[in-house]
Amino acid sequence: MLKILVVCGAGLGSSFACQMSVESVLQDIGVKADLDHSDISSAAGTRADIIISGKNFESQFQRYDLPMDLIFLERLVDKAEIEEKLVPVLKAKGAL
Amino acid sequence: MKEIYFTEENVAFNVEARDWEDAIYKGVALLKKNGCVNEHYATAVVNNVNEFGPYIVLSPGIAIPHTRPENGALKVGMSLITLKTPVFFKDTQEPVKVMISFSATDSEKHLNIIKVIVKIVEKGLIDQISQINSLADLNYLIREEQP
Repeated sequence: MLKILVVCGAGLGSSFACQMSVESVLQDIGVKADLDHSDISSAAGTRADIIISGKNFESQFQRYDLPMDLIFLERLVDKAEIEEKLVPVLKAKGAL
Repeated sequence: MKEIYFTEENVAFNVEARDWEDAIYKGVALLKKNGCVNEHYATAVVNNVNEFGPYIVLSPGIAIPHTRPENGALKVGMSLITLKTPVFFKDTQEPVKVMISFSATDSEKHLNIIKVIVKIVEKGLIDQISQINSLADLNYLIREEQP
């Protein structure tokens, strides 16, 4: 199954909250995925198809040169922004 | 489940804070007073924000100060403060007016706290909360957000 990892600085607040909003977007558009949240230091070593994180982490992620799709959000719990940025990635992956 | 309710013990309105760091210390002070975190927790939050950027700013107007359990969390808990003068974090467009600080002891047990926070933000209640002056008004405003 498609694995989506939501990442923030501590891996338990902002990322957990964002995960909930992502879950509800996925439910709305009818896509099933395996979701989890973590902190940025463990994110690089985690297997995932898509990583979703806050805009403030963009430069740090670029240093890691990761193979998966990366999505950066201005607002972590804004379902409209999540859907707008996630749908094209899901379509490209054939998940939608 | 009692950790997800706002009481006289974990809420303060119109708190004065010089800047974002001071605001974090003021919010986390309530967690410390209630035995949720030790004296290192607030400094760890500030250090994390300096290292990673303002990841605790969840949405415009609201920050949720927190850090890893090993940085001084003793039990699951939360606090809410509204700021008399909103504070800016680096790289954020809008100032933060409301802070919901919390402590977690693992990556799951504070699930109910996060649920309440997400519902409050998704319903767009932050501006209203920033103008509230009493606990009764706060709990009335978020009555549907708590089980």
